[in-house]
Amino acid sequence: MDEPRTTALHAWHLEQRANMARFGLYDMPLWYPAGAKAEHLAVIEAAGIFDTSHMAVIGVQGVGARDLLQFCFTKDLQRCLGKDKGPLVAGRCVYGIFLQPDGTVIDDAIVYQLGKNDYMVVVNAGMGGIVAAHLDSRKKDASVTIVDYTDRLGKMDIQGPLAAKILKKILAVPEEVFAGMGYFSCKGGFAELQSPVAVSLLNGTPLLISRTGYTGEFGFELFIAGEHFVSLWQTVLAAGEGFGLLPCGLAARDSLRAGAVLPLSHQDIGPWKFAHNPWPFALPWQEGARTFSKDFLGAAALLNDTSSEYTLPFAGYDLRKITVGKDTFVTDLRGDTIGQVLTCATDMAIGRVGEKIVSVATPVAEGRSEDFKPRGLCCGFVKVRKSLAVGEQVILTDGKRKIKVEIREDIRPHRSARRPITAML
Amino acid sequence: MKELSELEFPETIRYTEDHEWAAVDGDTVRIGVSDYAQDQLGDIVYVEMPEVGDMFEKGDEFGTLESVKAVSELYLPMGGEVVAVNELLLETPELINQEPYGSWIVEIRPTDPAEYDELMNAEDYIEMLRG
Repeated sequence: MDEPRTTALHAWHLEQRANMARFGLYDMPLWYPAGAKAEHLAVIEAAGIFDTSHMAVIGVQGVGARDLLQFCFTKDLQRCLGKDKGPLVAGRCVYGIFLQPDGTVIDDAIVYQLGKNDYMVVVNAGMGGIVAAHLDSRKKDASVTIVDYTDRLGKMDIQGPLAAKILKKILAVPEEVFAGMGYFSCKGGFAELQSPVAVSLLNGTPLLISRTGYTGEFGFELFIAGEHFVSLWQTVLAAGEGFGLLPCGLAARDSLRAGAVLPLSHQDIGPWKFAHNPWPFALPWQEGARTFSKDFLGAAALLNDTSSEYTLPFAGYDLRKITVGKDTFVTDLRGDTIGQVLTCATDMAIGRVGEKIVSVATPVAEGRSEDFKPRGLCCGFVKVRKSLAVGEQVILTDGKRKIKVEIREDIRPHRSARRPITAML
Repeated sequence: MKELSELEFPETIRYTEDHEWAAVDGDTVRIGVSDYAQDQLGDIVYVEMPEVGDMFEKGDEFGTLESVKAVSELYLPMGGEVVAVNELLLETPELINQEPYGSWIVEIRPTDPAEYDELMNAEDYIEMLRG
């Protein structure tokens, strides 16, 4: 294998004695000495920060930028915001997919509109060059400039109910930043990436902040010029003292996102059609119809889809899981193989009370007992050859171990991602 | 991740290539996993153990350790009959992270006590870990 790439915080991760592992092209922390369970719980009950600089950022600018994204990205940028399906505007962002013409997945992404003809696209580790080249190959003329910012800027995610309280201590004018900052909105910017509203730290350093994340919990992603990244990380950690803020590794990120029913690109979505899965909101479905509100790359393949593979979320009855590999598969209760396991993780903040799944964040009035101690539940995604109803049971097996799990609509209840920001300050 | 020099490998017990340890206690032997194994696995969240009375050959799988990272099989360093399992680990599997050598998983009565002498001593085990 080639030498792994590293983020600017690599030396810090090693100094903290993080357990490191290769993730994509990068050597990244799996967990720090507190351990993945403590990190997972911190994000649900307090806050955690994640080094996500391995992710890639692409700038798409120019008069043809919107049309290009409208054609290459699944979300309908003219009809995507709020109940009334308003157009994407500067200061807002949306989640969607870049598809191949055959409807299979190149990568998932968040597209941010920063200015009239100015967009920022955040894709997964190692995908910056690939998605940039894909966009470049589809542009109609020279009116669009595509810039791959991979490894040129730093990104960290601060996630958890106390995230805004911590950031409040380090932002120059926090009231302005947080005012009206809804889910999937952004403010600030630096260098060429500039939204309409400036945001800076107390020391004047500009940054871009967005109310997004990959944990299902309330929080933000912070983007900053590479040279200020390590110092921002230290500043956030110092501000988080007394709030229970923990640095978190990829293991907690994986277990949090699995419980929140969020896909991991190239594992839960990938070189197969983006269809029959828990993420139809990434597609521009017309309400109540089997048509899309716009044409886009891959649309025809999805509309004419005759494949019968279904990606479904599941949760187990205790925390036992299987390690996903080439010999793991899904069977029905009779033992007949019906598909494969895509993700199997343990959400360590939840447990079952009777039939119901309860989280440490579940209010007592809604079924959590005062002395609830989560043991964790295995959860994730299966891809099976037939449609299964919510509540149906299947078996995950690696040939030796057999684990009965239940097909679910949702997994970890009472997530905080969409809470109004006014309730979090 | 801890450096090898920060991990503990008591010299009074023996080790396997799969990172189990074995400690003689009278005519029985207690089995657990090494400090290196617990550090690599991370938070141990579940231990699957055999029944008292189960018989195993040397190298047989006798249970699994489940960590946040993966499910790992446990292999018996010596053949024998299980005479006790550490039930404390059912409720508090994290004890293995906290005290890997205090947290034995099973106790066996070995079929052939001489198998103990075939296991690695601390020095050889550390040498193997250094690669």
